[in-house]
Parts: sequence; structure tokens; C-alpha cells
Amino acid sequence: MKKHKIIQILLLIIALSPSILMAQAVEKNSLSLNLKYFNDNNITHHLLVQAKSKIDGKFQTIPNITIQFYIGTEADKRNLLGKRVTNDRGEAIIEIPPTAKDAWLKSPNQNFLVVSTATKQFEAGQGDLAITKAKLKIDTAEGKMITAKMVALVDTIWKPIAAVDVIVGVKRLGGILNANETQTFPTDSATGGVIAEFKRDSIPGDQNGNITIIATVADNDKYGNLSSEMQVPWGKKSLYMTNFDHRTLFARRGHSPIWLELLAYTIVIAVWSIIIFLLFQIKKIKKLGFE
Amino acid sequence: MENLAENKIVLDLLPQKFGKQGQIWVVCLLAICAVGFYAYCRQLYYGLEVTALRDYASWGIYISNFVFFVAISLVGSLITAVLRLTDVHWSTPLTRIAEIIAVSAISFAGLIIIVDMGRPDRFYNLFTHGRLQSPIIWDVIVITTYLFISLLLLYFPLLPDLKIMIAFKDKNGKWLQKLYEFLGSFWKNKPEQFKITDKAINILSITIIPVAFAIHTVTSWLFATTYRPGWDSTNFGAYFISGAFLVGAGGVLIAMYVFRTHYKLEKYITDDHFDKMGKVVVLLALVYLYFNINEFLVPAFKMKKSEEEHLMGLFTGEFSPIFWFAISASMLIPILILVFKKGRKPKWSFFAGILVVVGSWFKRFLIVTPTLLHPFLPMHDVPKNYTTYIPTWEEWAIAGGSLAGALLVITFFARIFPIIPIHETIIETESHEKA
Repeated sequence: MKKHKIIQILLLIIALSPSILMAQAVEKNSLSLNLKYFNDNNITHHLLVQAKSKIDGKFQTIPNITIQFYIGTEADKRNLLGKRVTNDRGEAIIEIPPTAKDAWLKSPNQNFLVVSTATKQFEAGQGDLAITKAKLKIDTAEGKMITAKMVALVDTIWKPIAAVDVIVGVKRLGGILNANETQTFPTDSATGGVIAEFKRDSIPGDQNGNITIIATVADNDKYGNLSSEMQVPWGKKSLYMTNFDHRTLFARRGHSPIWLELLAYTIVIAVWSIIIFLLFQIKKIKKLGFE
Repeated sequence: MENLAENKIVLDLLPQKFGKQGQIWVVCLLAICAVGFYAYCRQLYYGLEVTALRDYASWGIYISNFVFFVAISLVGSLITAVLRLTDVHWSTPLTRIAEIIAVSAISFAGLIIIVDMGRPDRFYNLFTHGRLQSPIIWDVIVITTYLFISLLLLYFPLLPDLKIMIAFKDKNGKWLQKLYEFLGSFWKNKPEQFKITDKAINILSITIIPVAFAIHTVTSWLFATTYRPGWDSTNFGAYFISGAFLVGAGGVLIAMYVFRTHYKLEKYITDDHFDKMGKVVVLLALVYLYFNINEFLVPAFKMKKSEEEHLMGLFTGEFSPIFWFAISASMLIPILILVFKKGRKPKWSFFAGILVVVGSWFKRFLIVTPTLLHPFLPMHDVPKNYTTYIPTWEEWAIAGGSLAGALLVITFFARIFPIIPIHETIIETESHEKA
């Protein structure tokens, strides 16, 4: 009897063990939502969130997570800016819509909240951000100098901000090329401005020599990400070059190099002339036979 | 060659009707062609999906077959032109064999290219939209030219023989008589006609050599002008041509033996012919071996990372059994057989010829496919069957059908026309007697 009981207990343990293991396997991972604010040229504002989770001891970006963006500190329906799904890089972006204007104008400081609901693999996530509203304005001065001025909203007045690192440079495909050897310029206390000498004279611009200069503040704890850009005719004029109609070995049909055409057609004509000549010889032999 | 009376030569060399063996041979070839045709119909209906050709191995045994056909066709220029121009007379009985091999092979080279196309109905686009810069267009031009020259080189020496055959009206049968008369009723053995024919043959012999070199060089450029492991070589043209002469000469050895034994032509295709042809094959095999060593030793010595996988695949990997078989069968063993006088006897020469031809076919497969399966950039996220190439039955049937078709052309030619030039044999016998 006792033996039977032991066997029954053992069987129960064996039967339950997969479900215990399964229960461990389906344990959900926590999700961290990292929220950032962007002010683009003082015209549009957008928020970017990146979803990450620690899987196998490493932080990995998580795609396909639905994120709800809120303005303010509460996940209230009235504060909802919209919903977005994270992409392959685990990122979701939302522009702050005009409907949020009233909430935006209430205070010089602004809070944002992002929330994700729980999924099969991940727990619900939440992230927030508090910023002080600020502006960065780029301009030029005599002698190819780039100036940028940073102001922040204090009560109802825009005041210059000192000691914020500003990157000043030229916008290129895939990044910013510094205006000179200096990487960042700290804003001064009197005007909140920076001055950078433009030393990229030979840089190619568009057909008129236009290039885009940019001043940017990146990942500032208080003000977020600000950028301001403008076009200046300081670049080298780029002429539109194409060899589409040129005769090259790689060109389209009918555009082969002259030397190749001459060579090829000469050979073809020479050889086929011989063949035609020989066909005439057959005719000649035929004629001789019937004479 | 023994002194033979003119009539005896004519009767010996006139085309003969198929015997029982011949009929079985033709039926077998027709059956293989029929299976190939059925497989091709399936390919036309279902598309290239019925083949194992995929994104990486986009050229398989069809293109191997194409290269093989182009290669074997070069023998026409070797036997007919090179030996004629160098005043070598022993090859006279072999000229027509070489030329018909060339004509049938080059015809099927053109056909197999169309078979390889997913949309053969678009073949005409090659002519209407082809780019002069593309080696594919050069190949189309040069193959067409070579076919025409080979046909002319087959036709001109045939004219005096046609007159002889027309005289045997009763033996010929109705439609053959009509064919002979259509092709050569105007030939009257006039000295002016001979003069024109001799001149034409000389012109053709000179013209065919650069054209023949061009067909296989251009074929090699189809590979060498692309940047891939195994194809990125500057001496691919010479490598291809030396291999082509070898396989062509091997093919002639086989044909010599088959025609000699089947048509009892021992007096015309003598042991001496086998001896001399055997020596030619040894020389060509050594030249081709030299190019192979050059082609594999230099990259293997450097063993660049990008080429390593391809080379190791050939030497010790998945293609090594075929690689070593091809090297041994097409070069090493034939050299060992034919380098000895006994080995140059008809039976051994025939065996060596078979080894050369079979080995050379697999050599062409090794030139085409392993390279495609070892691209410079690694394969990522592709289905498993994209990484290997095992031809489907349709591909084997079509490739086999094309080989059978080429043999059928040679067989029917030998049935209709004398496989050894009658008139030239008579002239040479007479000059031999006079001497």
C-alpha cells in the first residue's frame, strides 16, 4: 500500500513537472520604454520611444509593441496623443498634433507619458519625460560665421540659456559634419548664443552651391533634442553629371564605344563577305557544270 | 594505304543501308530524343521550375552541355583546317568525320542555349535588343558564323563525291537520288570546277581557324568577364581552346573506331591513323593538363579566402569525386594509355577516346556549376535547395536528348553521304601509286 502511494506521488511529480517547466518558460519579461522629445526647427515637435527588454542577459530592442502616447502625467483619454507600434528597431514616433495645443500652452514645462499594455511575452510598460520648453535658432554672420541662439521659456518670457552644448555643422547624408575642428560649442550666459567659423569651403552643395547648416542640442536632460537648420550658398556648385548617353562598355544598346563597333562590324563584315564570296563560287561552279 | 582499284574504293566507301545494329542504334537514339522532347514540353508548360536551376545555380547541365558541344565542334577546324594547311595528308580520311561532328555539335550548342531560356519565345530579342558590348551577342554571332563555315567546309569537298553517288541510281533509292542531284548534279569534274573548289577549301581552311578560336574564346568570356571564384581568370580563352581540341580529338577517336568496325573500313582508317591520332590526343591532353595545373595551382597557392570554399569544394569537398574523375578520365588515364604504342591500337584508342569525352563532359559541369554555388558574398536566408544543385530528371532527359540528337545527325549523315571522302581517297591512292 505504502509502495503504491510512493509510486502515485512520483507519477504526480512527473506529470506536473512539464507544466511547472512550462510555467517558468512563459514567464514574462519586463519592458522598458525610453522616451525622447524632439523640437524640429522650432516648427514641429515629435516624441520617440524605444522599447527594450533584457533577454538572455542582454538588452534587446522589441518590435511590434503598441505604445500609447499621452501629454501630461496621467494616462487619461483626454491626454492621449495617439498610438503607434514599434518598428524593427523597437522605435515608435509620434508628432505632437495641433489638438494638443491647449495642453501644451498651459505651462513652460511639459510632461509626457508612454504606456504599453501587457502582451504574451512582455509585461505592461511605462515611461515618462519632463522637459522645459526651449528654442534653438540658427543664423549666419559676416565672414561665413554660423551663429545659434538658445532660449528657454521661464514663466511667460523666453530667456537666453547658458552652458548648453550645441553642435554646429553641415547637414550631410547620414549625419552632421562639424563646421570646424570644434565638436561642440557651449552657449554663453549673456545671449545664450554660440559662434562657429565655417571652414568647409570645398564641400559640395547643390546646383547653386546651397548647403544646409544645422545647430543641434542632443539628448539634453532638461530641454530634450533641439535642432535648427537653414540653407546657405557656401558650398561648391555641383554639376549634374551623367554618362547615360555616353558610349561606354556598360552603356545601353546602341551606345557601345566607336572602337568596339568598328572592330566588331569590320570582323563580321570581313568574315561574312568571305562566306558570301564562297556562295557565289558555288553559283560559279554550277554555271560551269551546265555550260 | 594499300593500292586499291578505283571501283573498289568507290564501292567500299559508298554509304550503306542500316543493318540490324544500325537500326537498333537509331531506334535507341530516337527513343532518348523522344524522352528529351517530352521533358522539354513539360519545361515549356511548367517553366524552369521543373529544373533544379535556382537563384544561385542558374546555369546547370544545359550550359555545361552547351560548352561541351562548342568544345567538341572545334575538332572540325583542327582536323580539316590545321592539318590541311600544315600539309598533313594522313588525316584525309578523317576530315569528313571531323566536319560532321563539328556541324552537329555546333547546331545542338545553339539549340541547347534556347532550351536553357525560361522564355524561348523571346529568343528573337537577342537580335532585336542585343547589346554589342555583351559577350552573349558575340557568341550568337560567332556560333552562327562557325556553323555556316563548317557547312561550307563539309559541302565543297563533297561535290566530287556527289557525282560518284549520282551514278549509282539503282542503289540510291528515289529520294536519296533526288537529294544528291539537288546538291551536286551540276558537278562535271571539270578542271575549272576543281580549281574553284580547291581555292574555296583553302579560303575556308584559313577562315575557320580564327572563327573556331573565336567561338570558344568568346564562350570562355561568358564566364571570365564575370567576377566569380573559378572564373576570374585571364587565360580562360586558352584553357577552353586547349580543352576543346582535346575533347574533339577524343570524339574523332571514337567515331573512327565505330565507323571502321561498323562499315568495315579497316583499309581506309588504318592502325596507322589510330597511332597518329593517339599521338595528337596525348599532345593535346598534355597541353590541357598544363592549363589545368595553371588554372588551379595558382589560386590554390594563394588560397584567397573568397576562393577557398570553391577550391576546397573541388579538391576535397562535395565536388571532389567528379573533379578527380574528370581530371583522370579526360587527361591522366588517356595519356597513360596512348603514350604507349600498344595503347594506340584501335580498341585501346577507342577506350581512351570514350574516357576523354565522358571526362570532358564532367569537366564542363565543374567549370559551370560549383562556381555558381560558391558566390563571393555568403548565401543568407535562402531555401535549402538553393544551396545545392542536383539536376532533375527533366534536365537529364533534355541533356541526354540533345546528345542523342547530335549522334543522330552524325548517324544519318553517315547513312546518306560517304563518311570518308571518296574522290580524295582515289586521288591520294593514285598519287601514292605514282610515287
